[in-house]
This record gives sequence, C-alpha cells and structure tokens, in this order.
Amino acid sequence: MTVSHARVLGLTVLVLALIAVPYALPALGANFWVNIIAEILIWSLLAASVNLLLGYLGLLSFGQSLYFGFGMYGVALSINAWDVGFWSALAIGMAAASVMALIAGVLAVRLTWHYFAIITVVFSLIFYFAAMSMKWLTGGDDGVSFTPPPVMNLGGYKLLLTDPTAQYYVILGIVAGCFALMALIVNSPLGLSFKAIRENDRRAALIGINVYRTRLIAFVLAGALAGVSGALFAFFGRYASASYMFYHVSGEAVVWAIVGGASSLLGPLFGAGALIIFRELVSNAWEHYLIAVGVITILVVMFAPRGIAGSWNDLLHKAFMRRSQGADPNKPAAVIEEPR
Amino acid sequence: MTASGTALSLSGLTKRFGGLVAVDDVTIDLESRKLNAIIGPNGAGKTTLFNLITGEIAADSGRVTFQGRDIVNRKPHEIVRSGISRTLQIKSVFGGLTVGDNVRAAVLAHERIMTPFRPVSSYRAVAARSNDLIEEVGLSDHRGALASSLSYGDVALLEMALALAAQPKLLLLDEPVCGMGPQETERTVAMITGISRHTDVILIEHDMEVVFDIADFIMVMAQGGILATGTAAEIASDAKVQEAYLGSPEDD
Repeated sequence: MTVSHARVLGLTVLVLALIAVPYALPALGANFWVNIIAEILIWSLLAASVNLLLGYLGLLSFGQSLYFGFGMYGVALSINAWDVGFWSALAIGMAAASVMALIAGVLAVRLTWHYFAIITVVFSLIFYFAAMSMKWLTGGDDGVSFTPPPVMNLGGYKLLLTDPTAQYYVILGIVAGCFALMALIVNSPLGLSFKAIRENDRRAALIGINVYRTRLIAFVLAGALAGVSGALFAFFGRYASASYMFYHVSGEAVVWAIVGGASSLLGPLFGAGALIIFRELVSNAWEHYLIAVGVITILVVMFAPRGIAGSWNDLLHKAFMRRSQGADPNKPAAVIEEPR
Repeated sequence: MTASGTALSLSGLTKRFGGLVAVDDVTIDLESRKLNAIIGPNGAGKTTLFNLITGEIAADSGRVTFQGRDIVNRKPHEIVRSGISRTLQIKSVFGGLTVGDNVRAAVLAHERIMTPFRPVSSYRAVAARSNDLIEEVGLSDHRGALASSLSYGDVALLEMALALAAQPKLLLLDEPVCGMGPQETERTVAMITGISRHTDVILIEHDMEVVFDIADFIMVMAQGGILATGTAAEIASDAKVQEAYLGSPEDD
C-alpha cells in the first residue's frame, strides 16, 4: 500500500459513510444528526471558498459571507418573484454571488495580505448594512421566506426537499459535485498558476503569468462556491436573511478552513465537521463554548499548522514512505511521487 | 531583428526615488551575440536598471527598445512574453512546489495554457519540455523534491530553468554566482556561456574574476549613470573605473 492507495481508501470510506448517513443515523436513533451532517456539508462549501483563496492563492478573505448572502437571496428572491424552478434558482444564486465577487474582486485583488483582508471585510460590511436597511427587499434581520420548488419533476413523481432523506442526498450530490470540480481545478494548469502565485507572486509574473487576472478568476470562483453554499443553505432553511451576511459568518468559515487544513481540498469539510459537531455537543451545556473553539484554533495554528487534513497527510507519508522505500524519515513530505 | 543587431537599446532611461536618482539618463545599445556584463559598486543602480527593463518598476522617463519595439512601462508578464526573462539577485523560485511543478508552471505560462478542468499531467508536450529543461540545468535527480529543500546552487539552477522555459531571446541574470562555492560557480559559469551561444545574455556580477573571464562587453555603472564601457582589458586599465570601483587591480 502506498500513500495514494491510502488516500483513495480514505476517500472511499468517507463517501460511503456520507451516503449511509440518512439510514445509519436514524437506525442508531439519531435522526436529528442527519440534518446536522447536511448543514456541515453546506457550510463546508463556504469554508472551501475561503480555502481556495487562502490555501491555493495565499489570500485571506474575511468577506465570504457577502457571496454566501447573495447566494441565499438569489434563491429566495428569484423563487418569490418569478416562481423559478430549483435548478434555475440555484444557478441564479450562484450567478449573483459570482457577479458580486467580480465587482469586489476587481478592486480587492489589487491588494494582498492584510490590505486584502481589510477590503474584503469592508465590502461585506457595506452590503451587510445595506441589506439590513433595505427591509422591503431583503426583510432585514427577519429575512425572506419561500416555498422551495421540487428538485425534479419526473412524470407524476416529484422529488421534494420536504423529505429529509431526499433533501440530504440533493445537498450531498451538489456539495460532492462542487468538491469534484474544485479537485479538477486545483490539479489543472489554472490551479498550478494559483499555487505559483501563492508561493511567489513576483516569480509568477516573471514566468509570464498575469497575476492580477489569475487572482481575479480565483476570487470569482471562490465567490461562486460561497454562492452555492448560501443557495443550499437557503433551500435548507427555506429562507434568506441578511444576518448571514455579517462578518462573523466569514470569520467562522476562516476558522473552519484553518482548523481543517488550508491548501488541502477536503480540509474545510473536516474543519467545518469537527467544529460544528463540537458546537452541537457542547453549546447546550456551556454557553461560552466559543472560548473552547478559540483555544482549539490557537492550538491547531501553533502545533498543527496544516490542520486536520494536513496532519493526516503527514501521518500517511510517515507511515508508508519509511516502510516502502526506506526514505529519510526526517523529511517524509519533501518527496512527492513523480511523474504524476 | 537580425542576429547581429542590437540585443537591447536603452535611451535616456531615468528613475528617481525621492531625491535619489537611482538610474540617471542611461543611454546604450547592447549588442546581440555578445555576453554583456554590468558591473559597479553597490547602489550604482544595476538592479534598478533590470527592474526598469522587466517592468517591475515604472520608469520616470526614457525608452527601452527590444526587437524594434518600445517596451518601457509594460507589465512584467507582457515583457516576459515579448522575450525577456530574468533571474533575481535573491534566487526566486516556487518553494512549496516540486521541481517538476516549478518548471511545468513556467512552461504552461509560456504556452499560455490556463485551462481549468484538464489535469496538468495530461499535457504530454508540456511534460516533455519540462523534463528537457530540468535535464538541461542538471536537476533530473531532484524532479520530485520540493524546491525549498534544494541546496542554494540547485535553487539557482532551477531559477535558470524557469527563466529558460519562456524561450527568451534575452536573458537578464542578476548576480548569478553570488553566494556560490567554487564548484557551483564553475558549473553555473559553464551554463551561462553555453546559453550565451544561442541567447543574448546581460549579467550583473560582482565576481570580477567571472566577469573578466566570460564577458565580451562590460558596462560600468556608478551613481546611476554609465561610467565606462568596453572590453575586459579596456575596463581593467580604465583609470576612472579603478578609482571608482576596483581599487588596485591586484585585489580579489
């Protein structure tokens, strides 16, 4: 067994476990947890949008809630105003988020580091306050509710989100599709140019990469991911609210991405999963549980800076590299299989 | 352009940083098919001159003519695409990527391939060209190693491969042997002279032994301007140069 075999095995187990959720958890008497897992899947996309920027381009955005909000309202408002179907509403939510990301990105990606972080927060705050005050459109804090259209309408049979199992699988399918697309992108020439910019933007320009345009493409892709996340969350809760555009939602996504492991594809899923499960288990008993989340985050940053997924990868390398080829155990992660 | 023409032509090129004139009205034609070197004391404006040529800082005035076109103040990535590559004084590669990915990124950028859904590994021609470049600079044994784990000399070689990936017509080298031991220096100098047979090269270098050994033409800069130009022999016997920079010729 090699590292890549172990990875494939781990991924297979994860996918099978996620498919089994709507049957396994109720069998264990934990119906309530099906919806928690669905929620984790949705939020993992928002964390993935942070990760695309932070882990693959080295840009820390504290404003992804803005695009999440546009995804939510794209769904809620288009269904209420034009009575569109499920997939059209999802596409509108994603498109609205992407357009907003394009507008903000044109300005934001001229900057890096803390300047970039600040401008992304500022953008999201402007639109948060605008959405809070435009109650006629957004419903402000109370939000806008809607009735989700059927996901599919085959002959007489309608696939409805009101069936929790159907809803879970629709969410799982769309989230898995997004992660699969992201996997393709980060391994493509475009993804390699992202990583080149992350490692050294000056050298990236000097090999002929248009750094500004490439960062803008990534920013719009991240906006689209956050938009899908928001759209799914709107379907899940049957409403959209301006309160989800607040920057602490963005901050939570950053924490999930970092704890899960930035620059690893599934890191955000593990981060969102671990911390949301932690919240569900602890928050009822202890209202200041966020203190513990803060401590966990600090410990991860200090002792496992590559997060849950990064530590897992290091562990696999340690376990298999030494045994298979007697490689130098002191730097197990330095050699990556070639050719790929 | 003809092979025996001008590699690069600078005219009235000027850059001020506040009160300091870092590059002061530099006008020169550097000939093609010659190994041109720029020397000068620290702060003479050599690296700033390179930064102006590659578009990394904006010139206040003047022209940079390359292949018959004025490229001054174009964007760095556009200038690379027009055929000028460079290496940096502090060697600059993609530390967190493997040697293979470093070079593939450069080849893909040169080929302007930025597709989002096809794996990098499926581009056979890119892989072949990357492997050739890695072989050319002698890093075949380190293909899968992270660039950050390479020795200093190997990083310099990798940076050379990144610069060559763009198939430059003109290569700017900023202190290519700075910080290298004797063996690494020898290896790098051999590579530079090899490259200069088919590509125009301009190099900045402090190691006088290297410069006098390999340069066909030397331009001496001091305080932002051109102090002297000529062959190694002419520069070595130039009184102004000795006074400003070299000290006694027995040094070094």
